[in-house]
Amino acid sequence: MIQVQELSHSFKIGKKGKERQVPVLKGLSFSIQEGEIVSIVGRSGSGKSTLLHILAGFLKPDTGIIEIDNVRTSVFNETESAKYRLAHFGFIFQNFQLMPGLTVFENIELPLKLSGVMEKERRQKVQELLQLVGLTEVQDHYPNELSGGQQQRVSIARALITDPPIIFADEPTGSLDSETEQDILLLIQSLNRSRGITFVIITHDDTVAETAHRIYRMHDGELIEGGASHAI
Amino acid sequence: MRFKDQIDFVRQHIRKNKLRVFMTILAATMGTAFLIVLASVGFGIQDTIRDEMLSNRLITEIDVFSGDMDAPTIEGLKQREHVKAVVNRQSVSIRQETGMNGYIGGQSLIVTDFGEEAKVEFALKEGRLPQNEHEVVVGSHFAEGMIDPEKLDAEGEPVTYNGKLLGEEFTYKFGLYENDELFEEEIPLTIVGIAKEPSKDWVHDMKVYGDASIMPKVKQIFISNVEDAEVTDLFYSDVKMYADNLENVKSVSEAMKEDGFDVYSISDELERMDVFFLVLKAGLIFVGTIAILIASIGIFNTMTMAVTERTREIGVMKAIGASPKLIQRLFLMESAWIGIIGTFIAIVLSYGISYIANLLLPIIVASALGEEDLGSLSVTFSIIPWQLVLIASVISITVAMISGWRPARKATKIDVIQALRQEL
Repeated sequence: MIQVQELSHSFKIGKKGKERQVPVLKGLSFSIQEGEIVSIVGRSGSGKSTLLHILAGFLKPDTGIIEIDNVRTSVFNETESAKYRLAHFGFIFQNFQLMPGLTVFENIELPLKLSGVMEKERRQKVQELLQLVGLTEVQDHYPNELSGGQQQRVSIARALITDPPIIFADEPTGSLDSETEQDILLLIQSLNRSRGITFVIITHDDTVAETAHRIYRMHDGELIEGGASHAI
Repeated sequence: MRFKDQIDFVRQHIRKNKLRVFMTILAATMGTAFLIVLASVGFGIQDTIRDEMLSNRLITEIDVFSGDMDAPTIEGLKQREHVKAVVNRQSVSIRQETGMNGYIGGQSLIVTDFGEEAKVEFALKEGRLPQNEHEVVVGSHFAEGMIDPEKLDAEGEPVTYNGKLLGEEFTYKFGLYENDELFEEEIPLTIVGIAKEPSKDWVHDMKVYGDASIMPKVKQIFISNVEDAEVTDLFYSDVKMYADNLENVKSVSEAMKEDGFDVYSISDELERMDVFFLVLKAGLIFVGTIAILIASIGIFNTMTMAVTERTREIGVMKAIGASPKLIQRLFLMESAWIGIIGTFIAIVLSYGISYIANLLLPIIVASALGEEDLGSLSVTFSIIPWQLVLIASVISITVAMISGWRPARKATKIDVIQALRQEL
């Protein structure tokens, strides 16, 4: 379970000496249950991406507490945060963020390499996931040889490889056509059901948001629970 | 991340930028090879001079200078710690002449203790050591010094003695330099042994070696022919001590100096020479290191470019859980890899250059000097000992890692959010 209390964050903008503080998150408190799909919807600049970056440990909040399964992650330093991310989080990005010099197989394998898993076990897990996302045929291809949908499937497989309990998805279908978008959303729902993975989806698209069990709406740094999705 | 995977990761990145990495390795190779070859000249010259010094004498030899070298003093020297032998060669400081079967020579008489001589390097080629009065051993070139004054060979040179020596008797006469005539008395001497040839080709040993039993007769002739003769003026001593091994030469020398003897050993000279060459080699290594430092600019540039180019990739790695330490290590490994490969190639190259230099330079020098016999030039221009390889490797790899350190630090400081926003 993810528990957030009084989370605030602001950015300094402007020239040196003439900077001013712009609050982005204003005392947010909310929780996300284990096995939930939660969408955080909002316009550009509403603070939804900043919220995800703080939840994922890319940014340290100015104030507030984040606890994940009773572990206070908001006090982690950079190294602790990286270690926690590797073991507990998976990421799906809008522009896939695959390594261009690595093959599909190697991209999916990367988090396991970082975890120090033995080669034999890595190969076995990657093959399982390639089958799950239907990319066995293209495992030796490089990302630039794949379609957008295929690249996002690689990204999903990479997010799943360490069996994380939580996956953060930042505009997961933002670069895809509507047909592929549906495929990816169905895959996310299916993974949530079959593996009990908690998904936190950041989106500005209501269609995507409606895939979730619950929707939070971000507006001007504040969070309003939008109730259960119509799709569920 | 396992070490093997880290290596694979680094190699994968190097393969992606082959040309740039190759040029950087080339610069590192040239810098390191320059250092090794430059310093190898210092090692080579030192070795040549050292060999030259050692070839002329035994390394454990200590010359002892003292006015009053009587028998008890010599015995005292033999009793000292770490002394293997004390050879007191006494020469006769007068005009001498030998005669045998019509041939005459001017070979000088050396009175010595054969027991002590045998402990060091004196050995016989033929025959035996003297056992009876008037028996002597002659140098291996003794016959060359015996000439027939009335005969000349085809080239106009005096004819030298060519007959057998062992068992032959010859006469030994002497006199004062200021008189034309030698003393009338002759000492008959019998050759019972011929000394082994000296190890150096250019040394001709024509001496006559006798033991102390010959001294009374020589003294008696001298006294009977010279008024107010001082027998002490007749013989002069050349005392050499031999330490049991090289390590003890210094301690034996020091002890002798403390007791008021004037001594000289090659270790003193070697020590001074070693200090000089240590400074020279350090200077050469310093100059060589400057070349490596210049090469390090290339490594710094390559690594900085690598970090800049891979900003997004570093961001992705950090996002999915790579620790800053791991990122830093991967980049340091990459610069170290460049250093290691560069150093390895440089070592191989340096040995090749050193080999060719030692092969060609004597020929070039010989031609410049107009020397035909190249074999006589035993100069080593370049030597690469393992210590030099070790020093150069440590300098080169350390400099490579230092050059890569700042870019590696830069990589760890890459902001994940900024990096993920970068366009592909």
